[in-house]
Amino acid sequence: MPPPSSPRYQNRIELLQGTLDMIILKTLQWGPQHGYGIIQAIRTSSSDVLQVETGSLYPALHRLERQGWLASEWKQTDSNQRAKFYRLTPAGKKQLATEHQRWTVLSAAIAGIMSPEKEPS
Amino acid sequence: MNRRRRNRELNEELEAHLRMAERDRLDRGQSADDAHYSALAEFGNTGLVKEVTRDMWGWTSLERLLQDFRYGARMLRRNPGFTIVVVLTLALGIGANTAIYSVIHAALAPLGIPHPNRAVMVWTENAKRDWHQFPASVPDYRDWQSSGVFSSLAGVSDGGFNLRLADRTERVDGMSVTPEFFPALAVPPRLGRSFLPEEGHAGHDQVAILSDSLWHSRFASNPNIVGSTIVVDGVSRTVVGVLPPSFPKFEKEEIYTPLVFPADVAADRGSRFFQVVGRLRDGVTLAAAQQRIAALEGRLATQYKDDTGNSAALQPIEDSVVEDARTLLALLFGAVGFVLLIACANIANLLLARGASRQKEMALRAALGAGRWRLCRQLLSESVLLALIGGALAIVPSLLAMRFVSSFQIDELRNSNLISLNSSVLVFNAALSLATGILFGLVPAWQAWKTNVGDTMREASRSYTGGSHHRLRGLFVIAEVALTMVLLVGAGLMLRSFAGLRSANPGYDVRNVLTGRVALSDRQYTAPDKQAAFFDRAVREASSLPGVATASAIDDLPGSDNIHGRGLFRPDRPDPRPEDVRIELLDNVMPGYFDAMRIPLIRGRYLNESDTRSSMPTVVIDEYTARLNWPNEDPIGKQLKLGQHEAPKQIVGIVANVDQGILVKLLKGQIGQSYIPASQSPSPAMTLVIRTKMDPDALIPAMRSLVRGIDIDQPVFQVQSLEDIRSANRAPQQLATSLLGSFAVVALLLAAIGIYGVIAYAVGQRTREFGVRISLGAKRIDVLRLVVRQGVVLTAIGMLAGLAGAFGLTRLMSSLLYGVAATDPLTFAAGAALLAASALAACLIPAYRATRVDPVVALRCE
Repeated sequence: MPPPSSPRYQNRIELLQGTLDMIILKTLQWGPQHGYGIIQAIRTSSSDVLQVETGSLYPALHRLERQGWLASEWKQTDSNQRAKFYRLTPAGKKQLATEHQRWTVLSAAIAGIMSPEKEPS
Repeated sequence: MNRRRRNRELNEELEAHLRMAERDRLDRGQSADDAHYSALAEFGNTGLVKEVTRDMWGWTSLERLLQDFRYGARMLRRNPGFTIVVVLTLALGIGANTAIYSVIHAALAPLGIPHPNRAVMVWTENAKRDWHQFPASVPDYRDWQSSGVFSSLAGVSDGGFNLRLADRTERVDGMSVTPEFFPALAVPPRLGRSFLPEEGHAGHDQVAILSDSLWHSRFASNPNIVGSTIVVDGVSRTVVGVLPPSFPKFEKEEIYTPLVFPADVAADRGSRFFQVVGRLRDGVTLAAAQQRIAALEGRLATQYKDDTGNSAALQPIEDSVVEDARTLLALLFGAVGFVLLIACANIANLLLARGASRQKEMALRAALGAGRWRLCRQLLSESVLLALIGGALAIVPSLLAMRFVSSFQIDELRNSNLISLNSSVLVFNAALSLATGILFGLVPAWQAWKTNVGDTMREASRSYTGGSHHRLRGLFVIAEVALTMVLLVGAGLMLRSFAGLRSANPGYDVRNVLTGRVALSDRQYTAPDKQAAFFDRAVREASSLPGVATASAIDDLPGSDNIHGRGLFRPDRPDPRPEDVRIELLDNVMPGYFDAMRIPLIRGRYLNESDTRSSMPTVVIDEYTARLNWPNEDPIGKQLKLGQHEAPKQIVGIVANVDQGILVKLLKGQIGQSYIPASQSPSPAMTLVIRTKMDPDALIPAMRSLVRGIDIDQPVFQVQSLEDIRSANRAPQQLATSLLGSFAVVALLLAAIGIYGVIAYAVGQRTREFGVRISLGAKRIDVLRLVVRQGVVLTAIGMLAGLAGAFGLTRLMSSLLYGVAATDPLTFAAGAALLAASALAACLIPAYRATRVDPVVALRCE
């Protein structure tokens, strides 16, 4: 399947394994959402930089649900479409906190490497 | 079910996604078509998304197992040659084990009595007199009975009966038992009752109990049989009961009559003529009972001269019925176990070799994310699949082997009719297949466990694979060779003792001789005169049958189970001390016996019509007796006594030795044999010996009607040609020898294949090296030596281990051996030579191939 040719997606960044999980958990912090909604939310909040593929999203959702971090139920959307809504479980909230913490440490470390305060002599 | 629902939900979830994407596009003003296609395009490959999502659900272990098996089956289909070799090897190995298990399962089937471990045999033992499991005397039995150890203690004595039926009289095996017998076994009759206490006394004993099978076969399962009268040995008896089908049989008894102790032996501690079986009283343990009976017998031994030196031993009845078979069964089970182990080693070797070529596949799968566990499990399921297929196919050879074994009808193997593919045998087969698969599957699984992805990818490009699993393959070959060595020695020992037992020349001519036994019922033929007259007439009439050359009779044919031994004494010498008395086999023969059997006369004359009741007592001895007792004299005309208090008999002839049969050989080795005229010592049971001028079987009807014509109540039984008797007598040894021999041959073949495989593989690995050596000027013979040396080293180590193992293990089979020590050096050497030769041959083929390596090709193929 060739990638969509629209220029909008050219800045797309491949997400590291694990990072997607964190982003999904974060997105669901604001309330239950279905798969399509999650993709839209991530795209919007990343200013179109992060485009999550369905082939990554759905396996991740199902895995997170199996791990007990998400729960799901079938509900109607505002436009009256029946869809599967995912929400954070208490365990998922705890996981989000942990991953967020790790991410902060990691990104600080990477930032330190990539833009050191002192240039090497 | 659950999975199907989840699939539906997944479809719906993705469908909803698409709808929402489409709707957004419509809202943004796209046309319906555009919205549809661009939503689809953005979504990507729905099938793929579904698949990767489903992967997250996790598999139940059953689904994963099925997947593994399906994958395994694909791999096996892709290598049909490998698969066929392995499956056939397994089918043979597992089949042999299944068959032997079924034999053992039948032979060790529990007795159909309640609490069988409480029922015991009571034996008299006397090491000084060489008595083992000796019968009891009436006074000893009474003393044991009153010891308080047993709730019932019975005397039993087996024998046969002439049972009169509507149109004929038939010989039926039977047993005389005291009334305590049925309570001792604690099995009530299915019809009627067991014997009453008073029926154990003379005058009240005209009763009988029938076995279930006799009731069916001879009395048409008549439900009103109880109370009716049957005629047994010419005496009317009332049937009082019929036993259930599960009732255990000691021999082949079908009729039970009360055992009444004759008045003249009831007080004689020297008359030992029946066996004793009892049931322990509740609360008395076997050990306690053993102790009390031994103490009691110890007192009797000091009190009575006839019991001097005696002790008594209790033996659980189940042990007594399997005792004879135990060594044979253990031997066969051990042998098939070895064969299967050898097969496993061979298959593990094949898998190792294949594992080397599959390392790339494994590394690739590992790189794609398959965990170590996953790879191990995958390989293990492949092996188990192989084993299960092999196990299923094994049913065919196991059925053949079962039929082969049960065709022998050996007395030692009880219940040969139960040898079949029953549910417990099938369970054993499945369990064994599974265990076998896991056993040889551990090797490649372990190999995969050790596989390091990076290393393998790098290494796979080189042709030489690590030394560690080559060492392992060497170990397997050593183990195989060792096991084969043990089997070969075991089979060789059986073969040698069998050859010793069958003694090519029995000393008589087995061809064209028909035999048949008549046992006159003692109530109808009480007087010896009447007995002699019966057989005189039978022999006379048989002689004049058309097609008969000579007819005669003997009380017990050579090789029969009935052995009459007597002490040999010389009237002209002082009696030897009791332990120095030479035992002599004694048989009564009718005139013409030696002619009919074609036993050559050495000196003097045969017994003949001139030896009558009123003439001088005479005896013919065999060469062995003559040489042993009259080494430098002519025994003809000398006198001997058979039994210390018997009248002296004059030796009138010396005949050639005859084969006395396996039983005598096993018990005593060779002993002397004397023949006395039946006229001077009539016997109520004789075997007719008829030499024919034609096929002896053709004479059977004539012989039957001849005997019936003399007395319809005295049936002739055990009608067989002499040739058939001889082959039947050696059936157990023949069975053990042929089975063990074929196991050893299979083992030898497998071991040779194993050695061949390892050496051929090594040669393949070193092709380039040989090419270099040859191009550098190595002689072909040097290359040959190089390759063969590797095989020779492996074989030599294995053989040493095997010889040591055989040295320890063959002792266990010494009770099955005759005329050869369990550590017989000749057998060990012959086995070793055979194995060495096979191993060498297996090495030479690949070694020869190594010498043909073309240096140019070898170097180019890298």
